Formats: sequence, C-alpha cells, structure tokens
Amino acid sequence: MAAANTEAAAATAAAPAAPVQVPRGQVDLVDFIDWTGVECLNQDSSHSIVNALKQIFRDDEGLYLASDSDEQLLIYIPFMQVVKLHSALFKGPEEEGPKTVKLFSNKEHMGFSNVNDYPPSDTLELSSNHLVENKPVQLKYVKFQNVRSLTIFIEGNQSESDVTKIHKIALYGTTVDTTNMKDLKKIEEH
Amino acid sequence: MVLEATMICIDNSEWMRNGDYAPSRFQSQADAVNLICGAKTQSNPENTVGVMTMAGKGVRVLVTPTSDLGKILACMHGLEVGAEANLAAAIQVAQLALKHRQNKRQQQRIIAFIGSPVKYDKKVLETIGKKLKKNNVALDIVDFGESDDEKPEKLEALIAAVNSSDSSHIVHVPPGDNALSDVLLSTPIFTGEEGGSGFAASAAAAAATGASGFEFGVDPNVDPELALALRLSMEEERARQEAIAKKAAEDTSNTENKDHASSSNNDSVMAEAEPATNVTADDKKEQPKDDDDLLQQALAMSMEGGASGSAAVADADMAEAGAVDPDLALALQMSVQDASMSSDSDMSKVFEDRSFVTSILNSLPGVDPNDPSVKDLLASLHGQGEQEKKEDKSDKPEDEKN
Repeated sequence: MAAANTEAAAATAAAPAAPVQVPRGQVDLVDFIDWTGVECLNQDSSHSIVNALKQIFRDDEGLYLASDSDEQLLIYIPFMQVVKLHSALFKGPEEEGPKTVKLFSNKEHMGFSNVNDYPPSDTLELSSNHLVENKPVQLKYVKFQNVRSLTIFIEGNQSESDVTKIHKIALYGTTVDTTNMKDLKKIEEH
Repeated sequence: MVLEATMICIDNSEWMRNGDYAPSRFQSQADAVNLICGAKTQSNPENTVGVMTMAGKGVRVLVTPTSDLGKILACMHGLEVGAEANLAAAIQVAQLALKHRQNKRQQQRIIAFIGSPVKYDKKVLETIGKKLKKNNVALDIVDFGESDDEKPEKLEALIAAVNSSDSSHIVHVPPGDNALSDVLLSTPIFTGEEGGSGFAASAAAAAATGASGFEFGVDPNVDPELALALRLSMEEERARQEAIAKKAAEDTSNTENKDHASSSNNDSVMAEAEPATNVTADDKKEQPKDDDDLLQQALAMSMEGGASGSAAVADADMAEAGAVDPDLALALQMSVQDASMSSDSDMSKVFEDRSFVTSILNSLPGVDPNDPSVKDLLASLHGQGEQEKKEDKSDKPEDEKN
C-alpha cells in the first residue's frame, strides 16, 4: 500500500481537485513494471511512453505520450512478476485523449498487423469524463488473474484526429505471491 | 552511441553485373556493406546487424541480426547474382526480422541498397513507408545504378513516408571514379545521427590518406581535431549547397542561380574556405559569381604559403604568430588573404566576432590569448574588418545594379 499512498500524494500535488481513489485492497503496479521490456509502437519519439507511465513524469501535466503517423498506439508492458489486474486509469486531453482501448494479457510480439487476430481480454470505451476525472476504470477482473505482460492497444481518440495524447496511464491490482528466486539462498555444503 | 538493430538489404539482381561502379556494381556494394556492418557494430557493442538479399531465389535472410561481425562478413561470400529484386517484399521481411529482435531496447533500422529499377508504384511504396513509420522502423536507402522510370522520385517518396524526426536518409550515388563505400563515408547513413563514431572518423581519415595526398592539406593523423573540424565544415557546406540547389530548382525563373549552385558544387576546397554555419542562402545569391574563383585563388596561395614556411607572410606580427603555432599562422594568413581578395568574404565577418576568435585561440594548443603580440594582431584584424564593412556599404548599391 505504500506505493499507492505516495501515488495518491503525488497526484494531489499535481491536480489538487481530484486525488486518485485507489480501489480498496489494490496497489499501483508501477513498481512491478519491467522497464527494460516496455515498448510502444507509433509513439512520437519526442513524446515517448515514459511520459505517461513513469511515476514522476506521468503526474506532470506538461508531459504526455503522443502518437506519430496516425492515431493508434500499441503499448507493451511486461511485469517483473505475475500480477492480477483490477483496474486501469487513463488520463488525457478531452479532445485527443484515447477512446477505444483494447487490453490483451500475455501476448508477446504483437504488432499493428495482428491486433485483430486475438480477441481482447477487455475493451474499454472511455468517455471524456474518464480522461479528466482521474478515476480508475474497473476491468474484467477474472480475465486478468495471471498477467505476466499487458498489451494496450489504443484504437482511436475522442475527436478522431490524427494525434492521440495521453498524460497518464496507471494500473492497479495485486501481485500474486510467487517465489522470488533471488531470495533463495544456496545451502552451504558440509 | 545509438543502440540499434539493423537489417541490410543487398541487391543481387542481374542489374548488378554492370561495371559502371568499379570493379562491378555488386563488388562495390559488398565493400559498402562490409563498411557499414563494421561501423554499426563498432559504434555500440550491443548493436546487431543482419543481412538479407532481395533477388536470386526470392527474398532471403542470410543472417538474422547478430553482433558477430565475422558471421556477417562470411555470409557475403559466394552470393549468387540473378533474377530481379523485390523491394517491397524485402522491406517487409526485414521489418519482421527486426520485430523479433531479442533486445527490445534496440532501435530498428533497415538499410536498403537499390541498384535495379523499382517496378512498384509510388503509392505502394508510400503505404509500406507509413507502415514502417508506425512500427518505429527507420529506413536508409542507398540509390545507385539504374535511375530510369522515376526511380529516385519513388525512393524519395518512400523515405518521406518513413521519416520521423529526421532518422531516415537517402543517398543518390551516380556512377564515377569514387567507390560506393567512399561516398557513403561522409553521409549520415555511415556516420549515424550524432555525426560520427570514433570508428567512422578513423575510417574516414584512412580513406582521406589513401586518396591523393591529404584531403584538406592537413594530415588527419597529425592533427585529428583540425581534420575533423574541416570535415564537419565541409559537410555543412555540402548540405547548404544542396539546400541552395533545391531552392534554385524550385525557383525556375531564376536560372542563373541554378548554374551558380552547380558550379560551386565542384570541390571540397571551396567548402574549407567558408565556415558555412551562419551563411544564409540569400547571402549566397547576392554574391557575385567571381567570388568563387577569387576564394579558390586565395586558398591556393595560402596553401603554398603554408607549405613553404612563412614566405608569403609580410606582416611582422604574423611571422611572430607563425613561430608560435604554424596552424594558427596558416589560419590567420588565410583570413587576411580572404579579406583582401574578396570584400564580401564571410571569413572576415567571422574574425570580427571577438568572442569567437578568442574561443578559437583558447582551444589551440600552445597559444596564449593574453600574449601581447596576439592581442595586437586581433586588434588589427578587428580594425580591418570594420574598414571593410564601410567599403562594403559603399560597394553594395553597385552590386545590386549588376
């Protein structure tokens, strides 16, 4: 819960009106993201995915993730351990914010060419209220019980313009208790 | 230190048997590929390079991206030349090979050598280009060999569709005495975005030594920094001239300008004469055509002077400076001669900028900017510059009449 608390505090500092209401019993999963594997296709290189995903940058209103050649974005987020995903938060401008968002769990190597090959684990239709309110959207919890990686496909934006902008993406859920191999210690031989 | 995964598409179609690039198109292409592989793997130890062919028995990946230079070079041997190249399929296969790279942090880049005609429509190529852009893949094209059927235009359109934040480049290499690899040395395809790794610089230096004498009359091994500075200024000049040529082409009514741009494109010696950083295209337009000749003459004289000690130095101050540092003397000599020969010279403007000159002096080894003789010299230069400015003003109306 410590992470969630700091997250809430940071959000309060940036947008004093609406602190994020983290769902009960869930934590912000930002600490469990494997940053070396994070990938975003069709991002504008000067407005990259870290602007929306990293702890400090995502609460800065001036920084955002933007799409490059058209409005679609494909974000791949691997986790360092297995997680259960409960809800997600998307924050963006009212006009250029994301609208149709498809979430896939445990699909590696996805590209724009094969986004339609698999049924999405969940599809969100975001309204402009969602984007401004700082309120997490609940997902189909049963579909995200064993998530090693999450692929977020943003299909379109509110105004159907060519550029999609996202200020913040936050994921809330719980970690599944697994054995952390690093904690295992070799038994000394006698 | 860009972290990159690169796929190189080799053209091994029947068109590569032609001998207009010595020794043959295919061989010179192979040399260029080896060179680029070396540069890419050297610039970052985690970089990977893969090679594939576009013709022969269909598009074929010879090596998937690897950092093992031996593997890459070995696959180039015993390649068969035959059939026709399939550019669209090759680019898409390359993209697939890059997509499954092991290290996702690597940027993706495709380098395509295209020597055969392009049979695809502009539209098809643009669609492919957009797809590459969407998948964050950069594309470099080396256009050589055939140029029929609007091939350069098609490839330009392809690059335009791919390019985001200037990461994709195209180079047109006409047949001639220069080897393909030598031409690539000074292009962004070889030097990368940050303008040249150590390997690139040293390879370029080696190439310069191999060519007749030293490229700028300076041995790059003796003074690498000066050589690099000269090289950079030459590249800037080249870019500027390209911009002028483009502008001139657009402005069809002004045909004289076009001639001027192409005539000034002739040699690297020109490039050395003007540090082209703050020269606008408009400036160039107003300059009388004779300036080029004058500048070259001045340069030739200054080169001779540099070679035979300080025979041409009349000024006592300059002789003193020459004793301190021959490079400085050479530079000063050039500046003075430029100033006297061409009233409109940009060099004199540069020397008027005191802070700039001081910073240069500071960077020169063994020169003390506080030395009274150097100070005197600077003051005299400054005075001269101002005098010329006045002269310029009186000259300008006449120029405009012409």
